[in-house]
Amino acid sequence: MQSHGPLLPLRSPWSSPIPLPLRHRTSFPTKPLCLAASSSFTVSDGELESRGFRVRRNPGGLDVAALNEVFARVGFPRRDPERLRRALGHAGEAVVWIEELAGGKPVAFARATGDGVFNAVVWDVVVDPSLQGTGLGKAVMERLVADLRATGVSNIALYAEPRVVGFYRLLGFAADPDGVRGMVLSRKNFQKQRKTR
Amino acid sequence: MPIGIIRIRTACSCFRCTMTTAATPARRILTEGCSALGPAPAAKRSGKVLPLRASFWDSIKSGFLNNNTTQVVEPASNFIEEEDTLAQEIILLESTQSDGTLEQIMFSSAGDVDAYDVQALCDKVGWPRRPLTKIAASLKNSYLVATLHSICRAPGLEENDEKKLIGMARATSDHAFNATIWDVLVDPSYQVLMSCLSWGKGLNLSDEELVSPLLTGPGYDFLGDMGRGLGKALVEQLIRTLLQRDIGNITLFADNKVVDFYKNLGFEADPEGIKGMFWYPRY
Repeated sequence: MQSHGPLLPLRSPWSSPIPLPLRHRTSFPTKPLCLAASSSFTVSDGELESRGFRVRRNPGGLDVAALNEVFARVGFPRRDPERLRRALGHAGEAVVWIEELAGGKPVAFARATGDGVFNAVVWDVVVDPSLQGTGLGKAVMERLVADLRATGVSNIALYAEPRVVGFYRLLGFAADPDGVRGMVLSRKNFQKQRKTR
Repeated sequence: MPIGIIRIRTACSCFRCTMTTAATPARRILTEGCSALGPAPAAKRSGKVLPLRASFWDSIKSGFLNNNTTQVVEPASNFIEEEDTLAQEIILLESTQSDGTLEQIMFSSAGDVDAYDVQALCDKVGWPRRPLTKIAASLKNSYLVATLHSICRAPGLEENDEKKLIGMARATSDHAFNATIWDVLVDPSYQVLMSCLSWGKGLNLSDEELVSPLLTGPGYDFLGDMGRGLGKALVEQLIRTLLQRDIGNITLFADNKVVDFYKNLGFEADPEGIKGMFWYPRY
């Protein structure tokens, strides 16, 4: 045991080197070419199509205003559209969403932010309230994880409300593994501790 | 053990206060006690008021379970109670050895560091090796890479600064809402030959934190304590940079042993019971 532990938050485990796929830019960067086979998902792309949904693995065609509507319906804050576009469009952001074929609106969504080689954090997992409980959340999450793994990232983290810890557990996530804790900066506390000199 | 001296020479580079500090033309140095390092003096405190903004837990509240339908509107822009300008490079500490050598510890948010130096630092803290190409990619794809360098200048040799990477931390971000801090490293073998109290003041350690390592017996992990001081300064400046760039939600995942370290910086673990989770972690 080291006498001086590294002052790190979680250090990232890594996988064996996988060559990064080619990317070319459009208005939003397109997804890597090596996507995981859809046969490995609980509900296949085909099944979703037959139900009137198409899975999209990049933010191209995603209507930011419509996404904000879904956010609002689930009780998330509406985001400033310009910022939201920036978040979705920046290179390195992994985005998976489900489009309702009739109308083109997003009905499920998840994104992940990371460094493309070691770590990623999943944010904003939403399913439209009218379609909750029908497997769409699992569908986006399975594909998001697969896409991240396809780029070599295997340290995939997220923050889960108590009610949904079970949902993520079923998808292969573990809470506080080895005592590692998710932490969030309280700005009030940050300013307070800076004042104690 | 030579005792270092903090030299005071020129005006503080924060442009806000009238304090003086040692300064070299190429760098901005913030004087100990300057508002840009610590709390603003009452007269200069910003008049900005934080408007009502959506909290972190609002933003991660489950979006796929049937839920309440309360609407939370995020304001178009987030004000922060921070100064408007933050130098990219900040001299945190400076000391002159008895032989005239000037040593500075500099924080930088410029991210000007190469993978090789980072790998060497990882070696020093005892992390298993990671491929250089992956380290390089992780740095390139990070939103912010912050470093601590030790800069030594022998007397009379202004040209030959010896610059050494002694700390690093990086943050990934979506460039809009969230940032996550990873890989906080401080060189554990870094020897700081100066007055502990002088260093400590600059490192924002309390008097107790400063005195305790001096009073305890041999075997106390003094360097660990100094490392914690440098680590604290590193993460604090990283946070300030993120806040200044209007990234409102700053997160990290902390090893059990360092949860308290981050709590002391203002982080909360499991806010409102929200748990950090990892996909099939290999530990």
